[in-house]
Amino acid sequence: MADKSELFPGTLDMLILRVLSRGELHGWGITNKLEQLSKSALQVDEGSLYPSLYRMEDKGWIEADWRMTENNRRAKYYRLTRAGRKQLEAEQAQWDRMSAIIALVLHSA
Amino acid sequence: MSFLRLIAHRLRHLFRSPQSEAEMAEEMSYHLEQRAADYAADGLPADEAHFAAHRKFGNLASIQEQAREGRGWRWLENFRHDLQLGVRSLRKSPGFTLLAVITLALGIGANTSMFSVLNGVMLKPLPYANLPQLDRLYRATAQNSEGNISPADFREFQQIKDSYGDAAAYTPERVSLAEPGRPAEMAASARATANLFSLLGVQPQLGRDFRPGEDTPGRDRVVLLSQRTWQTRFAGSPEVIGRSVRIDGEPHVIIGVLPPSFNDWRFLGGVDFFRPLAFTPAQTSDRANPIIRLIARRAATVSPSDADRLVTTFGTRLAQEFPAVHAETHWRRVILQTVAAGPGAAQILPLLIGLSGFVLLIACSNLANLLLARTMTRAREFAVRAAVGASRVQLLRPLIAESLLLALGGGVLAILVAYWFRDWAAVRSTGENGEHVDFVVDWAVMTWAFAASLTTALAFGLAPALFALRLDLNQTLKSGGRGTTGGRGHQRFREILIVGQFALAMVLLAGAGLYIRGLDALNKRRAGWESRQLVTGMIALPTGTYVDVDKIASFHRLIEERLAALPGVESVSLSSFTPAFVWSEVRKFVVEGQDRPVAGREPAAVVNRVSPRYFDTYGTRVLSGRSFHERDTANSTRVYLINQAAARGLFGDQNPIGRRLAQADGDNLRWGEIVGVVTDVQPVVTDANPVAFQIYLPMAQEPKREFQLTVRAAAVAPAALVDGIRAAMTELDADLPVSRLQPADTTIYHASYQDRVLRDMLAYFGVLGLALASLGIYGVIARTVAQRTGEFAIRLALGASGRDIIRLVLRSGVRLALLGAGAGLLGATGVTRVLMAAYPSLPTDSALILTGTTLLLIAVALLACWLPARRAGKIDAIAALHAE
Repeated sequence: MADKSELFPGTLDMLILRVLSRGELHGWGITNKLEQLSKSALQVDEGSLYPSLYRMEDKGWIEADWRMTENNRRAKYYRLTRAGRKQLEAEQAQWDRMSAIIALVLHSA
Repeated sequence: MSFLRLIAHRLRHLFRSPQSEAEMAEEMSYHLEQRAADYAADGLPADEAHFAAHRKFGNLASIQEQAREGRGWRWLENFRHDLQLGVRSLRKSPGFTLLAVITLALGIGANTSMFSVLNGVMLKPLPYANLPQLDRLYRATAQNSEGNISPADFREFQQIKDSYGDAAAYTPERVSLAEPGRPAEMAASARATANLFSLLGVQPQLGRDFRPGEDTPGRDRVVLLSQRTWQTRFAGSPEVIGRSVRIDGEPHVIIGVLPPSFNDWRFLGGVDFFRPLAFTPAQTSDRANPIIRLIARRAATVSPSDADRLVTTFGTRLAQEFPAVHAETHWRRVILQTVAAGPGAAQILPLLIGLSGFVLLIACSNLANLLLARTMTRAREFAVRAAVGASRVQLLRPLIAESLLLALGGGVLAILVAYWFRDWAAVRSTGENGEHVDFVVDWAVMTWAFAASLTTALAFGLAPALFALRLDLNQTLKSGGRGTTGGRGHQRFREILIVGQFALAMVLLAGAGLYIRGLDALNKRRAGWESRQLVTGMIALPTGTYVDVDKIASFHRLIEERLAALPGVESVSLSSFTPAFVWSEVRKFVVEGQDRPVAGREPAAVVNRVSPRYFDTYGTRVLSGRSFHERDTANSTRVYLINQAAARGLFGDQNPIGRRLAQADGDNLRWGEIVGVVTDVQPVVTDANPVAFQIYLPMAQEPKREFQLTVRAAAVAPAALVDGIRAAMTELDADLPVSRLQPADTTIYHASYQDRVLRDMLAYFGVLGLALASLGIYGVIARTVAQRTGEFAIRLALGASGRDIIRLVLRSGVRLALLGAGAGLLGATGVTRVLMAAYPSLPTDSALILTGTTLLLIAVALLACWLPARRAGKIDAIAALHAE
């Protein structure tokens, strides 16, 4: 497990928004996508996804509907709202800026 | 997600609905199943795959709790929970709850009622468009800062009115109103320039407004009714438009009805109907008689300071151009809204709010005491909860919820109190013309009630709670489980509250007592005159029938002769004023043989024109010289009677009789001779600008169209004369109404109705404050007695008598009351000052009131402490010690 990384606090929301920006997904789908995109390198309790989802639904960044999956199970599909898209852009820009600064400091010091 | 959808989403999850719980469970179990299926596909046996999925997911219960925290208004949900707990715990102690809510309701109700008065009198805007631009303009003299202006001055002002904006004028009058088949009635009318209503932005609800040009003689026989007159006299019939009524004997056509909003009592609300203000050429050039009231509307381009400058400059110009009438006068501008409340309101209303605030403070400290006691009994519960890790906020939250519930209950009841007060005030403040003060319970008032109850309940509810949190946990837990012990600190806190309550009660009672006694003394005093056997009434002779002074004078003589011949009548007098009320006619005089002061600074006196029998009728003593007699007529030498104050002020030690006076209007002085000196008279109402000098002149030498009729009954009760007088008057002139024809004492009683409303409110405040304070001291002493039962038992066991114990308890109560009364003396002195300033002519006897109030407070404190003290004296020492 040495090659798995814990998430910086607050970044889970951004990752979820990013995943949802490509289309709507249910919670399980988001988990899979995250795993897939991070090449299973993230160390998170899968369940902690849900409080994050509910919080963002509450803030109006994402919205959800209950629909049938391809194998005919009821599932809650989340998708990005316009506010969510804006939030994602803002967070991403912030992240890029921060990581550039951190990289700059680390590499030049 | 749209905003609405977001709100809907939150509301759905707000109360942890079963549906949202089920959805959360379903969503998570789907996840777990899928993960388990994945693991199973990797070759794990079913049950192991299940556990692995759970491991990977994390602690399900804790994640669900986190999810709940994240969604909806969690704090609101917690709050709801606290409220539920609060309701439960309040219901468990109904006695406490009832007492607390009633205490709050009374305190806040009193305060809210006073706020509704302030709101109705000062805050609520008058119902006119462009209100901020509307001003009253006054011509101020040394005696009267709100003086009226003369028709000639008004015409002068109209020449500059365009640079100001617009101006309208009105003048109140009393007229007779008659319709075929009904007796004539006296009505309060006003004449107004044709533009008055359009200037105020008021449209008639029925018919039409005055037309431009109708305010000229000959075209002015049109009438606009007030809504009230329309309802009471014309039964609200729409057919009144175009109907003809006789006003002062002349036919007039009703052209319109004003809207109900125009009944606002603060401004022109008492007027029954309006006629156009039309002046004959002679009147228009009259500069000596200030009869006109001026309203101006500033144009949008004219700033308030511009307006002030314009008005002041105009006044200065008048004073320079016409020094004979305008010397030492100036013009001033006052915003209409501030004038409307009337003089004194600005002083009295804050006083009332302040005093009701005192009632509220007393109520609040009672509440604080109650809550403190309640918190103390729960101290152990708090200590235990704190010991197992509850945070301060968690401890406070249920207390806050309880306070909020109490505030809500108190606020709702307070609004009921305010409604009740409104009805009471409407009845009590109804004037003779049916107009009454309407203190609407509107949003402002409701907001005030809830803001006040919220603030007080939170402030006075949380103070004891915070106090409780400073508890030493160990100490509380160790003290054998008795939560009631409240240490010395709490005892001190409660005692301070009691002292504060008594101080406030002292201020309240002293203030109320001073005002009430002053008012009673004022209303009962008959200084220099008497009223017991008198009937008074008011008559206004219409200009149509009584065209000149000769007509008026001969009718005066006719009235005197006819009424004097009635059985049971001792004497009859006509006068411009009665001594019961303020004489509003002020004139300036010069004394022959003395240096004439600068124009405008001559000595001023109030003037009463009286018929010969006036002094007999009122019992005003002629101290030297003679009274007026029938030979003092328009053709004889002008004569004056002056009062003692004028005699002393104008002539010092010299004999004034035979000296000559003239009125100081212009260079043409008409001299008259002083023929007698009479005693000073004082009215039964407060007088904002009392004038000491009183000068009488014979009615026959300056016959007055509007006058007071006074009849003295010989041996019968004055009420028995009323019908005979009315019949005799109708015989003389069927169109001539006599208004308020009734015993003088009845008129005097009615006249002070507004003062009496204030008086009653203050009395209620005083009683309420005292009742609450005694409740407070009772509670504290009773609690002290309960706490000290053990100590008393030991004292009894050691040989103290029950009487000793009673004395001990009483002493501790009276000590608090005395401390409070002492502190309250300071505040009471302040209240006395304010009252004296607002009512300069109010007779007061502060030493008596202050002593009386102190004694009353001590007596009440003794009484309130007596019950618990007696209980303490009856303690069964053995039983009490066993219980320890």
